[in-house]
Amino acid sequence: MSEKPDAGLGAKLKKAQYPEPKVTSVHIFPEWCKGCGICAAFCPKQVIEMGKDQKAHVVYPERCVRCYMCARRCPDFAVSVYGPVRDRGGGTGGEAKDGEK
Amino acid sequence: MAAHLPYEYIYLRYKKKFPHVWCPGCGIGIVMGSIIRAVDFMKWNMNDILLVSGIGCTSRMPVYLDFNTLHTTHGRALAFGTGAKLANPSLKVIAVMGDGDALAIGGNHLIHSARRNIEITTIVVNNNNYGMTGGQFSPTTPVGALTTTTPYGMMEPVFDICSLAGGAGAVYVGRSTVFHVMELDKIIAGALSKDGFSLVEVMSPCPTNYGRANRIGDAVKMMESLQENTVTIAQAEKLSPEQREGKIVRGVFVDRDDNEGYTSRYGKLCAKAAEEVSRREVH
Repeated sequence: MSEKPDAGLGAKLKKAQYPEPKVTSVHIFPEWCKGCGICAAFCPKQVIEMGKDQKAHVVYPERCVRCYMCARRCPDFAVSVYGPVRDRGGGTGGEAKDGEK
Repeated sequence: MAAHLPYEYIYLRYKKKFPHVWCPGCGIGIVMGSIIRAVDFMKWNMNDILLVSGIGCTSRMPVYLDFNTLHTTHGRALAFGTGAKLANPSLKVIAVMGDGDALAIGGNHLIHSARRNIEITTIVVNNNNYGMTGGQFSPTTPVGALTTTTPYGMMEPVFDICSLAGGAGAVYVGRSTVFHVMELDKIIAGALSKDGFSLVEVMSPCPTNYGRANRIGDAVKMMESLQENTVTIAQAEKLSPEQREGKIVRGVFVDRDDNEGYTSRYGKLCAKAAEEVSRREVH
């Protein structure tokens, strides 16, 4: 048995195994959106903004860290987030802070 | 169309019934998503699940979810669910009710279902008033709150749903809010996995009636107030009594395995009775 790798190496290996996604897509389905503003208010990266037409709009998709809080808190099932699947271990918005480059 | 919807849509009657009737910012849609994710986590077949409801805003849920569904009379969701569970014990019965439906009109059904420990998962969505009929006070309206029928403030103390169900004999009792969705998913999944009467109380905003009458603000402000006014059980233990006043504690309050479910006890009783009858016939 070799000795354990140090913490820094483990983190690097984990990062290589689960790289940060290059492209994440956030979709708003406008026919179902009722404009309550919950997704825009609780997005930790301000990806979504409310438009003048009382619908949510994706303005900065490249900022998305895929915390899925908009999709989970949307009462109308109008927000969907797609990207490479990664297990965040029940992460919340607080964990997403180190995601921005 | 389907490519632009979250994966939960496979459990919805999305071609016929959407968008749903709930007001903008109503939390019942979030609870519905949580139930879908919990059922998805349990890997249950849609055809093995029965969703029962009574009357009210929350009780519109069977219209949108593609399980076996039963939309019954006011407050009687648990009564119909008990009948269905006894007729077919292999069904997984989920009852969704509002606070007025569960505690005022169906209050006796709730406590007696908990006493019998029938295997039903009950989800009580608590929005502090009767939303569908125009915002009248309910047994969970806080003291001093304004509603259509309490223009000078509510004077009656509230029902604590979790203590009531736990005292009546439920094996799993939890409370969460629609703001804390991850926690809500876990608590509902825990309730679904129990063999006995389990109850989850979900705090949900009603921006159209309750929020407007009490000048709390729009849906976002009501969600923020849910975040500020609730603490977990671990946080509540650290707070002093003055700080804890007015805070709602969320978490799992009861989780026990010592109480046997009603249908298994009923099966044993049936076997015993059949044995007795056959012995009498011999002699």
